Amino acid sequence: MKLNIIQSCLLLVLGFMVASCEYDNFEEPKSTLTGRIVYEGEPLGVRNQGVQLELWQHGYDLFQKIPVYVSQDGTFSAKLFNGDYKLTLIRGNGPWMDQTDSLDVSLSGSQEIDVEVNPYFTIDAPSYEIVNDTIVRANFTVNQINATSTLELAAVYLGRTSLTDRVRKEGDEEVFGEQITPGTPATVDVTIPNGLRGRGDLFVRVGVKTLGVEELLYSQVDNVSIN
Amino acid sequence: MRLSKITITLAVIAGLIMSSCESDWLDREPPNILLDDQVWNDPGSITGVLSNFYDRLPAHTTLQAGWVDFAAYDEATWSGYTGNDYLNNLLTYDYGRWGLWDYNLIRDINLSIQKLNTYSTLSEDQRTQFISELRFIRAFVYFEHVKRMGGVPIITEELVYDFSGDPTYLQFPRNTEQEVYDFVISEMEEIMPTLGNGQSITRANRFIALAVVSRAALYAGSIAKYNNLMPSPISLPGGEVGIPASAAEGYFTKSLEASRSILQEGGYALYNNNPDLGENFYEAIVSKSSNSEVLWVQDYLSSADKRHWFTYDNVARSVREDNLASSALTPILNLVEDYEYLDGSSGELRTRTADGSDYIYYDNVEDIFANKDARLYGTIIYPGAPFRGQEIFMQAGVMEWNGSGYDRIEFADQQPDLGSVYADGGVLKAEAGPHRSLQDVSNTGFYLRKYVDDTPGASTRGNLSEVWWVRFRLGEIYLNAAEAAFELGESGEALGYVNTLRERAGFGANSLASVTLEQIRHERRVELAFEDHVVWDYKRWRVAHLKWSGSTENPESMAYSLYPYRVVRPGDPRDGKFVFVKEVVPRFRAPRFFRLGNYYSLIGQNIIDANPKIVRNPFH
Repeated sequence: MKLNIIQSCLLLVLGFMVASCEYDNFEEPKSTLTGRIVYEGEPLGVRNQGVQLELWQHGYDLFQKIPVYVSQDGTFSAKLFNGDYKLTLIRGNGPWMDQTDSLDVSLSGSQEIDVEVNPYFTIDAPSYEIVNDTIVRANFTVNQINATSTLELAAVYLGRTSLTDRVRKEGDEEVFGEQITPGTPATVDVTIPNGLRGRGDLFVRVGVKTLGVEELLYSQVDNVSIN
Repeated sequence: MRLSKITITLAVIAGLIMSSCESDWLDREPPNILLDDQVWNDPGSITGVLSNFYDRLPAHTTLQAGWVDFAAYDEATWSGYTGNDYLNNLLTYDYGRWGLWDYNLIRDINLSIQKLNTYSTLSEDQRTQFISELRFIRAFVYFEHVKRMGGVPIITEELVYDFSGDPTYLQFPRNTEQEVYDFVISEMEEIMPTLGNGQSITRANRFIALAVVSRAALYAGSIAKYNNLMPSPISLPGGEVGIPASAAEGYFTKSLEASRSILQEGGYALYNNNPDLGENFYEAIVSKSSNSEVLWVQDYLSSADKRHWFTYDNVARSVREDNLASSALTPILNLVEDYEYLDGSSGELRTRTADGSDYIYYDNVEDIFANKDARLYGTIIYPGAPFRGQEIFMQAGVMEWNGSGYDRIEFADQQPDLGSVYADGGVLKAEAGPHRSLQDVSNTGFYLRKYVDDTPGASTRGNLSEVWWVRFRLGEIYLNAAEAAFELGESGEALGYVNTLRERAGFGANSLASVTLEQIRHERRVELAFEDHVVWDYKRWRVAHLKWSGSTENPESMAYSLYPYRVVRPGDPRDGKFVFVKEVVPRFRAPRFFRLGNYYSLIGQNIIDANPKIVRNPFH
C-alpha cells in the first residue's frame, strides 16, 4: 500500500496525539508517612522484612490493611493519600510487648512520626574490636526492660553486606541466655569464617532473643574495618 | 391491507397444523439436563455425584496436583525445568501457602444431602447409606480445613440469601479449632454403622472412617500437647486456634482405639508378596494386584482415560522414554541418611575415613548403600540401583591424582556432557548425571522411585501412568497407633507396632528393645516420605520453625547432595574405585524458613470483607 505525504503526516500527528494521551485517570498518592520505631527516643533495630506495621483507614467500603514493613534500622515509610489512618502493631510480631492501642495518624502532606514501643530487652552501646585479624570481640550490655521476660540468647552476627541478621549472615556466635546477666557488660567472641577473611571490612550486629518471641531485637549495623 | 384468497387459505391451514400440536409443548422435559428427581432417585447418578466429590477432595501434594511442592520441604529438591527453581529458593514460606477455604465443595455436599432428603424415594437404607457417605466426605473436607486454618465456621446446611439487603444472618463466626476436630471425629463415629461399601478402597467404608479418626485425633492430640509446651503458645482469645492441654489425653485415646480397631478387625495386612524387601516396599505403595495394605486410594485407570503425568515428569534421566521433562523431583541426602543401617547404626553415609584424612574407596558405586533399611531402595533410586531392570549408574566426574591431591574434573570438552568419556577411556559423567546445572538431570545424586511407575511406556506422553495415590495405608495406621500409645505411656505396645514395621524393612524381629518418641517420629519420616505427611507432622509437633529456621548453619534447613566420582590414579590399587562428596545441592540457595505465622494459614482479606465476624490468624 502506498501512502502519500499528507496521509503519512496525518498518521504521524494522530500517532503523537494518541501517545500523549493520559490513560491513567487516577491520581497517585503523593504524601509520605515516614517514621521510626523507638524506645526512649532511640530507634530499635530489627530484621529486614521481618516486622510489619498495619495502617487502616476507616470510612471506605473495603476495610483493608496497608502493610508497612519496617526496615532493619527501625524506620519505615509509606506513600499515602491524605487522610486519617490508624497505625497498629501486629500481635506477637515484633520484639516488643503487645500493644492493643492503635496510633492515630492524620496525614496532610508529608509527615514523620515516632512509634513508641516497649521492648522486652534492649542492647546498650555495643563496641567491637578485632583480635589477631581472626576474631571479632563484641562488648555490649543487655538491659532487661520487661521484668517477666526470659532471655533466650544473645548473639553476634557477621555479614558481608549491611543486611545482616539471624537469617541473612555469613558467621555468628550465639550464647545462651544463662551466660548473660542483664545489666552487666558481656563479651562475645566470633571467629571470622573463612568466607569473610581477607576483606577490608565487615558488618557486625548484636541481637537478643526473648523466649517465645520469634523476632530478635538488634543493635544498629556497624561497619568494622579489618585488614 | 388486502389479502388474497391464497394467503388466507395458507394462514388457516397453518393455524390448523399448529393447533394440532401437543398441548404441553412448553412443558416438555429437557433432553439435555437431568432434573433433581431424576438424579436423586437413581443410584447410578448419585454415585456419579459422589465420584465428583471424591475427586475434588483437597490435598496439598498428590500425584496430580501440587506434587512440585514435594521439592519445597526437606525430602527433595527440584532438578527439572529451571523456571521452577523458585521451589529450591523460597526465602520464606508465604503465609497463605497452605490456605484453603473451599466452601463451594461444602455447599455442594450440603445441597446433596438436603436433596436426597427431599426428592429421593429410594429405600430408607439406601438413602441413609448415601447420606452417610456424603457426611464422610464433608467431615474429611473439614479436617483438611482445620489442619491448615485452625477453626473454621461449621456449616452443615444450605444457606439461602433472601435478597433483603442484609446478609448478616449468613455470616457465621469461626468455630474453635477444638470444635472442628470434635466435629470431624463425631461425624465419623455417627456414620460408621451405616456407611457400607464393604472392603472398597476407593469409597468410604467403616475402616476408612476409623482411619480418618486415627489421623485427625492424633493431630488434635499433638496440637493440644505441643502447642502448650511452646514458650508462648499460639492461640487466639476465642480459641479459634489452639486446643487446651487437658484435651490431649482424650484425643490420643480416641486415636489409639481407632487404630486398634483397624489393626484387629480390618483384615488388612502389611504387603509382603515379594521376597526382595526393597522391591516389596515399592510394590506396597504402587502395586494394584492383591494389595492388602492400602485402605483408601485415589485410583487412576487408563481405560477410563484417567491418567497422570507424575512418571513422565519424575522418571530417572537415563531410563526416560520421552525427550523432555524427566527427573523433576530428586530426593536429597538428608532423607537418604535418615534410613538406618540394618545393624541399627545411624544412617549417615561413610564417605571419609574416621579421622577425616582421606576418602573411603568403594569398588562399586552402590556399595556405600549396602545393608541399609530396605525402604531406602523402595523410596529412592540411589547411584547403581536398578529401575525397570536397568542399572541407574551415576557418576559426577573423575578424581584425578596429581601427586599430592585430587583434581576434581566434571566437565567434558565434548557436548553433550552426559555420557561423556574421559581421556583415559573411562566414563567421565554418567548418562544419569548427577549434573550441577543442567535441567532434567538429578542435581542431588538421587532419583525418586516411590510413585514412579515402572510399567514400560508409562513415562511417555502417549501412555502416561495409572499408579494410584494412597490416601491411607496400614503402614501409617501402625505409626499412628505407635505414637498415640507412646503418648499415653503404653510404650510396650508402641514398641510392638514399630518393630512390626521395621521387620518388613529388613531389620529382623524385635530389632528395637525400647522405643523413644524421637524414634517413632523418625520411623514416620522414613516410612511415609513423599506421602504428604512431613509438613503436617512438623506443624502439629510444633517443630517446623526449629527444623526450618532459615539459617544456613542449620543442617535441617539446608538440602545436601551426594556426588560419586571415579578415581583416576594409574598404577595404584585405588584406581577405578569410587569416592563420594557431600555438598549443599548446587541448585539450592535459600535455606528453608518457616515462621511462627506459618502454623496457621492466612485467611484472605476478601473472606474477611465478606464476613467481618471472621477473626484473623495470629501474626497475620
